[in-house]
Amino acid sequence: MALDNREVVIGILALQGAFVEHQAMVQRLSLKRKIAVVQVRTVEDLNRCDALIIPGGESTTIAVLARVSGLLEPLREFVRRKPVWGTCAGAILLSESIEGSKKGGQDLLGGVSVAIARNGWGSQVESFEVDLAVQDLRNPEAPFTGIFIRAPVVLDLHPSPEDPPIQVIARLPTNLLPPSLASMDDNDPKTVVALRQGSHFLTTFHPELTHDNRFHDYFVRECVLPAAAKTT
Amino acid sequence: MTSPASTPSTQDVPQGAGTAGTPAIAPARSAQREGGNSLGTFGVKSGLAQMLKGGVIMDVVNAEQARIAEEAGACAVMALERVPADIRAEGGVARMSDPQMIKEIVDAVTIPVMAKVRIGHFVEAQILQAIGVDYIDESEVLTPADEEHHINKHSFKVPFVCGARDLGEALRRISEGAAFVRTKGEAGTGNVVEAVRHSRAVMSQIRRASVMNEEELYQFAKEIQAPFHLLKETARLKRLPVVNFAAGGIATPADAALMMQLGCDGVFVGSGIFHSGDPAKRARAIVQAVTHYNNPKILAEVSENLGEAMVGLTIDPSIKGGLLAKRGI
Repeated sequence: MALDNREVVIGILALQGAFVEHQAMVQRLSLKRKIAVVQVRTVEDLNRCDALIIPGGESTTIAVLARVSGLLEPLREFVRRKPVWGTCAGAILLSESIEGSKKGGQDLLGGVSVAIARNGWGSQVESFEVDLAVQDLRNPEAPFTGIFIRAPVVLDLHPSPEDPPIQVIARLPTNLLPPSLASMDDNDPKTVVALRQGSHFLTTFHPELTHDNRFHDYFVRECVLPAAAKTT
Repeated sequence: MTSPASTPSTQDVPQGAGTAGTPAIAPARSAQREGGNSLGTFGVKSGLAQMLKGGVIMDVVNAEQARIAEEAGACAVMALERVPADIRAEGGVARMSDPQMIKEIVDAVTIPVMAKVRIGHFVEAQILQAIGVDYIDESEVLTPADEEHHINKHSFKVPFVCGARDLGEALRRISEGAAFVRTKGEAGTGNVVEAVRHSRAVMSQIRRASVMNEEELYQFAKEIQAPFHLLKETARLKRLPVVNFAAGGIATPADAALMMQLGCDGVFVGSGIFHSGDPAKRARAIVQAVTHYNNPKILAEVSENLGEAMVGLTIDPSIKGGLLAKRGI
């Protein structure tokens, strides 16, 4: 089992945004498998990685920097092969289509079969914290503090038959949806704030701003390590 | 009003700006909404600043400039009527911008929009909060409205950024509710020397505090006129408990990378972009320089052929427009 000792490298896309917070969270996980956490700014950095976290930040800024750093196509290729988690801006980049993008649109990576609206609640004064009910995480009976900062809203889930199914990890109560996207249906896709599709993971809020590592733990244990085991 | 469970707890996060220590700084003063969520907590205020890290915030005076900034990769724009270099040259009282102009900029871009209020002018801040700006800069660049008091920033849902020249000043602003701090530098000069001075002062005072025992910290708090609990938290974290950007005199990609290497989390560029020969190109270059601040090869590439930089000024007491950094300490 010598191969099992190979370090699993988790990259944090470090073009702009709250990447240090993700790095600190992953580094503090206690795992049997040896992992290394690296900041990714170039194609060479990306090529070392077994998995990637795209942090919160400004999605337009991250997309511009990815393009001028020659990372856009390598990132799209990476998403097709390896586990990726996007938080907030990262979730926008992983979606297949967006509403509310800047004039002229913006580059996306795709990879998760959702449509998303940027900045669903409006300006910063509408940003909020709320206790979320979560499924499938460690200790699921404890609520998770969801910090929503100029957060996006998942508009629709549309996996095609050949895509892996979408598993919902957390939803908002309908009364917290933005008034412009109001719904009475508890199963409305707009209430989804955390989901998994295959080995990809998507959260519209910021687990990295809390001290609760259950989302990081889930991503590494359930998405990253099984995928890394297959490739070794 | 936030329950203890929804407040980020205080643990060791050496690098996570703002993640640690928020409860010690400001018990979340928030508006509880139906359904159990909290608006305007210190967590979401400092959290937005964390999302801006590694980014460039650019001064813009109209929607067209805001679009240029967004296309170049700015992580936010600062809407104002005159950039600091023009305030300096033209003189007179500099005030909050026309809300109509700020709204046009909000409508033109998808990135966060900040705007400046005069130091102590809480009604200008109420107006900006009402029109929905994302961040307020209580700024020494505008003419102060109050020479003794800053705004009580805890009583707003919208977050504030403030300038500081040293650690004591930074911690006084945080204690008033600022969720984001920047160096003052000397705005409108295109001369980075004051921003360097202020950043080095903050960093060196943090390094000194980090090895002090409790008795020494009490004395140091008195010396720098900082609230003791914030100084203690800063010493423990070995960094400011909120995000800390560079501002005031940054004009080139090299200036921006210098401030990042000195330990700043990101950069404000005021007059430096739209007072230069090729704003779009310079803006894009500074954005890249902040991301790749530790990579001299990329810094060399992005610094090529940027055209004329803004005209720089030597900073001395006789400078036209005066020394702005001395306002509101």
